[in-house]
Amino acid sequence: MSTNPFPLDKADLMKAYRTMRTIREFEERLHVEFAKGDIPGFVHLYAGEEACATGIMMHLTDVDRIASTHRGHGHCIAKGVDVHEMMAEIYGKATGACRGKGGSMHIADLAKGMMGANGILGAGAPLVCGAGLAAKFRGDGGVGVTFFGDGASNQGMVLESMNLAAVWNLPVIFVVENNGYAESTSVDYATAVDSYVDRASGFGLPGVTVDGTDFFAVYEAAGEMIRRAREGGGPALLECKMVRFFGHFEGDAQTYKAKGENDYNREHRDCLKIFAARVREAGVVTAEEFAAIDREVGALIEDAVASAKAAPLPTARELTTDVYVAY
Amino acid sequence: MGPIVGVIANPVSARDIRRVVANAASLQIADRANIVLRVLAALAACGIEHVVMMPEHGGIRGHVMRGIERSRNQGETRFPHLTHLDMPVTGTAEDSARAARLMHRAGVAAIVVLGGDGTHRAVVKECGRVPIAGISTGTNNAFPEHREPTITGLAAGLAATGRVPAKVAFASNKRLDVVVGERPAEIALVDVAFVTDSYIGARALWRTETFRELFVTFADPEVIGMAAIAGLIEPVGRREAGGMMVSLAPAATARTVLNAPIAPGLVVPVGIDDWRRMPAGIPFHPHLAAGSVALDGEREIFFDGREPVSVTLTADAFRTVNVPAVMQFAATHGLLRAGASLLATALA
Repeated sequence: MSTNPFPLDKADLMKAYRTMRTIREFEERLHVEFAKGDIPGFVHLYAGEEACATGIMMHLTDVDRIASTHRGHGHCIAKGVDVHEMMAEIYGKATGACRGKGGSMHIADLAKGMMGANGILGAGAPLVCGAGLAAKFRGDGGVGVTFFGDGASNQGMVLESMNLAAVWNLPVIFVVENNGYAESTSVDYATAVDSYVDRASGFGLPGVTVDGTDFFAVYEAAGEMIRRAREGGGPALLECKMVRFFGHFEGDAQTYKAKGENDYNREHRDCLKIFAARVREAGVVTAEEFAAIDREVGALIEDAVASAKAAPLPTARELTTDVYVAY
Repeated sequence: MGPIVGVIANPVSARDIRRVVANAASLQIADRANIVLRVLAALAACGIEHVVMMPEHGGIRGHVMRGIERSRNQGETRFPHLTHLDMPVTGTAEDSARAARLMHRAGVAAIVVLGGDGTHRAVVKECGRVPIAGISTGTNNAFPEHREPTITGLAAGLAATGRVPAKVAFASNKRLDVVVGERPAEIALVDVAFVTDSYIGARALWRTETFRELFVTFADPEVIGMAAIAGLIEPVGRREAGGMMVSLAPAATARTVLNAPIAPGLVVPVGIDDWRRMPAGIPFHPHLAAGSVALDGEREIFFDGREPVSVTLTADAFRTVNVPAVMQFAATHGLLRAGASLLATALA
């Protein structure tokens, strides 16, 4: 056995792989199940982007809060939300993380520090400023991380949040998940300030761009940013350049993508394949150990789908429960 | 048709983790485009009529084309005819290398490069004997000299048009060649560092305890980055024969500790065990058994002891526009005096 050349020990390397594999399996399965017509609403799949959520979340604990996007399944899984509850939520069942009332775009689990997927683009940014402010007052060392896409970065509230985070020196990380498309509009067309890092610079925040298909690049950069934020060093922006294997939503014909783009990305820019190959070649985790994780995750997702399908729908009486909060 | 000059402007240089672990600058895209416009105006003022640029998706192109259009709307003729190479854009260093290869093939007279050490390395890999004129828009910028880009543009233009003799206009530079096993050779323009991290990750070097060996083409006490370590021990000029090799160790156990500026604003103790001059043409073999090789400050290759590793200094490896020499020649020969050249018409 070779010595481990990575910044994570074997257990954490396997944990990172398990998380990425769980997200992949979850999304690939949803792609199949959604086509059957049993799932209400829309689903937006995260497959191809797993290294970003995982590389960041490996540095977080339940005290840290994240705010996600409409494409939030990967963030939820990486933050530790129960996969069975997530699947049930997506099927709109009473056993779901939000009792079946939120669906794919509103999965939340505050106990895990997951403030919610969000159908409003960019809306996670002010939420984590609140979380960051709370952490600062409590002095618990917590950080807030918000994810948004290249399209949502044009939203005013994202820019206002960067300003707020900068002037209040909040422990907040802004993560731009740049998959090259705002829904179906190419980044090249829609964004006047061409670099997301330039946005951060405008508010005095350090901004870093990494290859989001490289788990280790995300892990290392995010680790430095999160450590800095915990120590009072302030907010920062991380842009992860990555690819999404599916369309903007399930059912999207993806006519805006180049011919063969998805196949090329699956072959050459698959973060999971890149990670597994690198770790295997270094002799730290064996192919059999990875295969065992694959089997375990396959069974987990199979069971999550079966349980979700079998679970009851919420009753009409529950329509207004858990919706409003009394102060 | 007169000489064509190439411009390779990297939109993603100065974007790495050194903005967080150090106080590195983050040059905005609009500023990079503004630099390109200054260079274009200077090239046109020297009589360069056609410039070809690398396409990119970072936004430089849009700002540059807008700037040219605005100037044209005002009836000005300050800019040369600008075209972009027909090539795929990947958003990686491969774009700079591919653009250099295509420009080399197209026979450009010079290439103006906007980027840091990594961008210049990518260009030099593929530009052959085409001279480059570097503009520092990266992080450490140990290779490109710091200078107002208008002057770099003027010098590139004067050199490309042949109005300054080649022996004055161009300087030869050293290069480091790194070979790991059977893999294709890699190059570095300033430094090759061997560090104990065996992964590429965020690429940059800042954890000094991982530094083990360093090879440099030149050691300038006025630069930052890995080359600063060598520069502060024993300066070696860019034009001087040979380079230098330094053995590094964690500061706690090293024979000597040097406070070196290894990144912008990051002056930290670096442990040094030994150093010696590195003659050209002789392969050096690092002692580190496993780790990664950082080329010009960025981890690029990992190795694990199963493959032999060598570093060799090559003299006269590539050419650069010698900006001070060109401008000195221009001054003493009146090249920029009205009526002395195409300059007068270009400025009219």
